[in-house]
Amino acid sequence: MFKLVLWISVGALLVLSLSARAENQASSVLSISAPSVQTLLIKMSKDAARINYSGSFTYQNQTRAALQSFKVEHWVENGQEHDRLLFLNGPEREIVREGRPVDCSSMGNKLLQGSFANLGKSLINLNNLYQFEIRGQERIAGRLARVLLVIPKDAYRYGYFLSIDEETGLVLKSWLIDENARPLERYQFVSIEFNSDPDKGRRAVSSHHHKVVANATPCNPMGFSKPELWQVAWVPSGFEFAGQRRLSNGQEMLMYTDGLTTFSIFIESASGVLPEGVGQSGATLAYMSSLVHKSSIYRVNVVGEIPVAAATKIAQSVTRL
Amino acid sequence: MSEQNLQQSLSESISALVDNQASELELQRVLKASEKDPDVKATWARYQIMGAILRGEQASQSAIVLSDFAARVSASIAAEEQIIVIPAQKANQSWWHQLGRVALVASVAGGMIISVQQYNNIAIQSEVASTAGSAAIPAPMISPLSLPSGINGPAFNTRSVALQTGYETRPQENRRVMFQPRQAVVPNAPATTISEEELTRYVNEMIQAHSDNAALNSSQGVLPYARVIVTDE
Repeated sequence: MFKLVLWISVGALLVLSLSARAENQASSVLSISAPSVQTLLIKMSKDAARINYSGSFTYQNQTRAALQSFKVEHWVENGQEHDRLLFLNGPEREIVREGRPVDCSSMGNKLLQGSFANLGKSLINLNNLYQFEIRGQERIAGRLARVLLVIPKDAYRYGYFLSIDEETGLVLKSWLIDENARPLERYQFVSIEFNSDPDKGRRAVSSHHHKVVANATPCNPMGFSKPELWQVAWVPSGFEFAGQRRLSNGQEMLMYTDGLTTFSIFIESASGVLPEGVGQSGATLAYMSSLVHKSSIYRVNVVGEIPVAAATKIAQSVTRL
Repeated sequence: MSEQNLQQSLSESISALVDNQASELELQRVLKASEKDPDVKATWARYQIMGAILRGEQASQSAIVLSDFAARVSASIAAEEQIIVIPAQKANQSWWHQLGRVALVASVAGGMIISVQQYNNIAIQSEVASTAGSAAIPAPMISPLSLPSGINGPAFNTRSVALQTGYETRPQENRRVMFQPRQAVVPNAPATTISEEELTRYVNEMIQAHSDNAALNSSQGVLPYARVIVTDE
């Protein structure tokens, strides 16, 4: 009897060690030919923030047929990220973003990296939300990029067609794909230079510059939280609350992300007449509705790159605490 | 008797066909009869000559219809094929013509895609059923020059709004927000009388604030800001 048990356990051990060895071999072979999805996503969410680059990209979406082009500059100085986005078409405009620590990981970054796996909370794995497929290499803006196909597993988010620079993790091409496999918007770098001289980026900003908020969501969240004053009973699975802030116009803004897709809920006391319905600008949707709570009317708007079915359901689930 | 009747009604049909007044059914009947009955072709030719004489056309022109009609058609098709052949020295000009055609077809195709997209939106969202009265405000006319923005315009249930500040070279092209109004849920709510500029500004402000979220939480750097329409404040 004892002998039998011994034999079985020895056999099991043998099988285990063999399979482990096979796995090791398989993974080492894979890492030479193609990076794993996880490696690629971590690189994309972590590394791209730490490098200096300047380049140009084009942008096109479904409602603005014209191809637009932009110049982008990104550099790290004194541990802080600096971004300049210059609109090359139409009137001179520039978006300036600075003041975010380079080691600041957002909720979206954390979800993409899967860093909450050890947190104990029943976190929905990114693989349950999207199907990731690594395709071949593609040459974009003179760089070798790895093509990553991201297909949503439910009807509440869109798909992506990403080309990620193999060396730096920067997204060189990004298509947002709707449920009928049609592109809603397309970005693509035309030229890019890495490790460019940061001094170049420190040129004077144009008089038409617009400073954007670099700390809209907190750094390095340790866990999950909930919005204050408001309850959002339903969001599509995998979306987590990323932060809340009050805008200068009095709107309360609740931010959500699943790691790749984001949406924001804007709530304000209804004053004056605003229509209800669906606004669409490019890939971004604005679902506008209202909520009555204790005889006061609130306006609840859901804005994001999400299908209208998701936005409608989210807006309907918002209640005042 | 019946044979004669048939001949007569067929002649009437041919006559109607010559005058371009024949129905689809008559056309089919004439074509079918012409296959086996040479008289039909002869009648056709005779009527054509009569018509030509009544219109006072030259005999040389009307002589065309005297000969075999089908043979003439084949001959003219063959002749047209020769016209299509492009002389080498004109290749450059033709290339532009072709490009124009492709662009036009592409624009039409683009327009269709967007229209379908709008239809889908409507289908998915049954509760956002817009009423025909308040919603079916046609998209504002855009100057014929701005062809690309013209493809945006599904003129049903969607109000295209544009903010004109004079800041944009073509304001309507870049500031557009497609809007599908929804029937008011509050029964006694006043009719929605917000101006298009106000609505666009309102939506664009939210998209701008949302881009702060998107830029931080979708791991695509500052790319989401390309969606933003920055106003000169």
